[in-house]
Amino acid sequence: MSLTQDTAADGLYGLLAEFSSPETLLQACEKVRDRGMSAWDAHTPFPIHGLEKAMGLKRSIIPLFVLVLGLGGAAIGMLMQWWIATKAYPLVISGKPLFSWPAFVPVAFECGVLGGALGAVFGFLGQARLPQHNHALFNSENFERVTDDGFFISVEAADPNFDREETEQWLLDLGATRVEAIAP
Amino acid sequence: MDTVAEIDPVVGRPALIAGEPDFHSITESVAAPMEWKPPIGWYICLGISLLMLSLLGISIGWLFWEGVGIWGNNQPVAWGWPIVNFVFWVGIGHAGTLISAVLFLFRQKWRTSINRTAEAMTIFAVMCALIFPGIHIGRPWLPYWMMPIPNSMGMWPQFRSPLMWDVFAVSIYGTVSLLFWYVGLIPDLATMRDRAKTKIRRTAYGIFSLGWRGSMRQWNHYEKAYLLLAGLATPLVLSVHSVVSFDFATSQLPGWHTTIFPPYFVAGAIFSGIAMVTTLMVICRVVFKLTHIINPLHFDRMSKLLLVTGTIVGYAYSIEFFVAWYSGNPYEGFTFLNRAFGPYAWAYWIMVSCNVITPQIFWIKKARTNMTVLFIASIFINIGMWFERFVIVVTSLHRDFLPSSWGYFRPTFWDAATFIGSFGLFLTMFCLFVRFLPMVAMAEVKGTLPQAHARHPDPESDLEPVGRIA
Amino acid sequence: MEHSQHRTISADDLKLAGDGVGRLTKICGAIGILGLLATFLLYSGNHQQFYFSYLVSFSFWLSIALGALIFVLIQYATRAGWSVVVRRLAEHTMATLPLFALLFIPIAFGLHELFHWSHAEAVAHDALLQKKSGFLNPGFFYVRAAVYFALWSGLALWFRRRSLIQDLSKDPLTTRLLQSVSAPGIVLFGVTVTFASFDWLMSLDPHWYSTAFGVYFFAGCFLAIHAVLILLCLGLQSRKILPGVVTFEHYHDLGKMLFAFVVFWAYIGFSQFMLIWYANIPEETLWYQNRLQGGWYGVTVALVVGHFALPFLFLLMRDVKRRRASLRLAALWLLAVHFLDLYWLVMPTLHTHGAELHLLDLTTFVGIGGLFCAALGILMRRGALVPIGDPRLVESLSFENI
Repeated sequence: MSLTQDTAADGLYGLLAEFSSPETLLQACEKVRDRGMSAWDAHTPFPIHGLEKAMGLKRSIIPLFVLVLGLGGAAIGMLMQWWIATKAYPLVISGKPLFSWPAFVPVAFECGVLGGALGAVFGFLGQARLPQHNHALFNSENFERVTDDGFFISVEAADPNFDREETEQWLLDLGATRVEAIAP
Repeated sequence: MDTVAEIDPVVGRPALIAGEPDFHSITESVAAPMEWKPPIGWYICLGISLLMLSLLGISIGWLFWEGVGIWGNNQPVAWGWPIVNFVFWVGIGHAGTLISAVLFLFRQKWRTSINRTAEAMTIFAVMCALIFPGIHIGRPWLPYWMMPIPNSMGMWPQFRSPLMWDVFAVSIYGTVSLLFWYVGLIPDLATMRDRAKTKIRRTAYGIFSLGWRGSMRQWNHYEKAYLLLAGLATPLVLSVHSVVSFDFATSQLPGWHTTIFPPYFVAGAIFSGIAMVTTLMVICRVVFKLTHIINPLHFDRMSKLLLVTGTIVGYAYSIEFFVAWYSGNPYEGFTFLNRAFGPYAWAYWIMVSCNVITPQIFWIKKARTNMTVLFIASIFINIGMWFERFVIVVTSLHRDFLPSSWGYFRPTFWDAATFIGSFGLFLTMFCLFVRFLPMVAMAEVKGTLPQAHARHPDPESDLEPVGRIA
Repeated sequence: MEHSQHRTISADDLKLAGDGVGRLTKICGAIGILGLLATFLLYSGNHQQFYFSYLVSFSFWLSIALGALIFVLIQYATRAGWSVVVRRLAEHTMATLPLFALLFIPIAFGLHELFHWSHAEAVAHDALLQKKSGFLNPGFFYVRAAVYFALWSGLALWFRRRSLIQDLSKDPLTTRLLQSVSAPGIVLFGVTVTFASFDWLMSLDPHWYSTAFGVYFFAGCFLAIHAVLILLCLGLQSRKILPGVVTFEHYHDLGKMLFAFVVFWAYIGFSQFMLIWYANIPEETLWYQNRLQGGWYGVTVALVVGHFALPFLFLLMRDVKRRRASLRLAALWLLAVHFLDLYWLVMPTLHTHGAELHLLDLTTFVGIGGLFCAALGILMRRGALVPIGDPRLVESLSFENI
């Protein structure tokens, strides 16, 4: 999608093909994947089970963010309590040792969960490139239905395999009910 | 309408949404309450809620002016209604995460009709909960002392205190619930953006939907993030009410110090929360004409959860009682006998009958889908769960080890006013929520419709041979 | 991920046939009898050691059978679809419960060796034990044990029988009947298992008490059955039984449950410890004090690391739950630490200064385990390995994780 700028000169962002149902969309996606397209995407009102395989998407790496930030958060939580209880403000309470680790587990755990949750949310926003203030696809009025009941495939003009007429016909052959050219 | 269709156990899985809706009709029914002029009932509800909210404002204002002496808290019952209300509200706040996260992990797809409202309820309940410790600290202008931040006094929080654990647990719970709720809202906010007729709505929903365009490359990360948030929220929800129970259970006080408190509090919290969801859902589905999306099937499931958690709570009451005797400790034994037959016996028996006996009605299938029964039972459970916290706090404290330190706790007008006022905050937020945000997770509901499954024609996955075993 | 390859399943794949399994059953039985014989020979002069070792081994194998019972009850109560293909294995496992009623007899005989409270002269000098004698007395103890076993065996045998009948009748109403009985079954199970754990494990130290003890024991049972189900499925599939019936998707779910109950066990264990440590009341703390001094300290640390930290990090990874070798390792490891957990609950009463391994620990383990496995082998040959009449079988076969 980084190539969007180059194609702007052609006055075309790409093509938007609409499909009538999840089934036809899924089958079409497999064909697009098998053709070796790279700059394309499917757009649906809800996640369709199996579509990520049909599109040949890689597994998300968000779990890694969550793991690192989760364990990191827990470690920071424990270290903070250790430092406060033994260095910054040592105070004997109810005869317990300064570093009373059983009493520090709850807060360390909560910090770990907070870290993991922030990792999940910001990992998602980063991976999904959100927030994004505008996008060429929003130029299409019909595309408003993507959040209601529309199923779309968008193919960018930046794709090396893209050819306006040929790709349009090809998408129609895949079962698209209509294909629309999208201005950049 | 109000019966679950007989389900053939062969098929086993009833349709989650009544009728045969298409994707668009789901959008229409969910978006309608936000786009039509709200019914007069909504204005009445909001008006009453705002009145109650102002009562909260007055109560807190008077409290700050006069001091905590306006409450009934006194020796020996130094922890009175504020703590009862705090635990009550935190408990209510647990159902949202249970329904969103735990049921999600257990692949309970019926949750999609109610999870959004339950999550919203969680956040509002946590807000209400946080008020009480906030105004209870005596010097309400110094709550930042609880934060581990450098200060000129060179003082730091005392992390061996369970009350500090509470600060972290509840605030992190509130934060994570908010994140979870918001991530779930993004696709639906985009729906509202795309449907918006006015510029203000378009801009407002547009900003908060972050430019979502339903791309599968986005959905792929979205689903993973959502699953992980559910995975994180599940132990979090267990830990939060466990930490709340630690406030009591780390003490040496009979009636508070018992090891079953953490799981017992968690079960009780979920119990009370689902009761509150039930109460609100019975009303909302009628007021906002969502009877096909939130249908008897969902109430059937929620009643079963009420039955399960209510019975777990009953188990905990019984084991506590038995072990109080079994311990041979005279103070333990006295506390429990005193609870059941002492001056607060009335509260104890309200608690037992509301929490343990009431949900047993849900063994009957008809009761699980009868809106009147559900509404009354859920109200009873809400009352019972408030009394549970009352019994735990007050009965354990009012008989101290020395009979000279015995007393009888009586709430004041301001205790009641603050509590009723907190309902004002909760209901105001809820009224605004149902007006401005989609109260059903549209994208998720659409995903559970039969036509949402792209059945892949794969001859290899033909299951016919299994039938041949016969 | 080979789930799209073989879905053609014949009835033979779902039954245990052939001499191989029969031979294995006989070998298990022989090992069990040899183990018990060796135990018998070692008994003289080691009375107390025998009873404690026996109690540990008995609790271990019993916890698996009890886990199987609650597993089956929960699957019915929740109308679970994914688990149908493994449910029958749990049904066979839980049907060994009557065997445990028989194996309980030595414990009944060893009451005086095991339980301090059973000595009338000890009770006479102990005000606390006098107060408890209404509950902790031999007569009531035997009656309770009889009630537990009658109830567990009754539930287990009845559920298995109904399910086997359904194989032939294919009657969906059977499923409905079992579903409606399962809910009250869970209630009865919860109460009896709590009191059984109080009776047989908690009352070893009759002054100590913890309201969460029943939940703690249940967590161990439920963890154990998932490990056993994984091992049973892997074992059967390595013998070309159940090919394509139990898929990686099912293993993945069983693995997730292992993970969940590793965490749940740690949650209950930590809460129980932390609350007692924090309040520091002498009559409660002593129980942990005994386990945190001398040689027991190392065992306690090993339990925390082995029963929580390591399996938690290991099972966190998705691929671990979807590969045979790693899942087998996790299941075997968790069963081993589950045994250690029970050893840690029981043995400090006998050896106060540290763990002292004894040959009887091994012989009782092998003895009871051999009989348990032999019984399981016999039961598994008496019916299909998959509930072929279950209306949700197709759903379970085609199940895929999200």
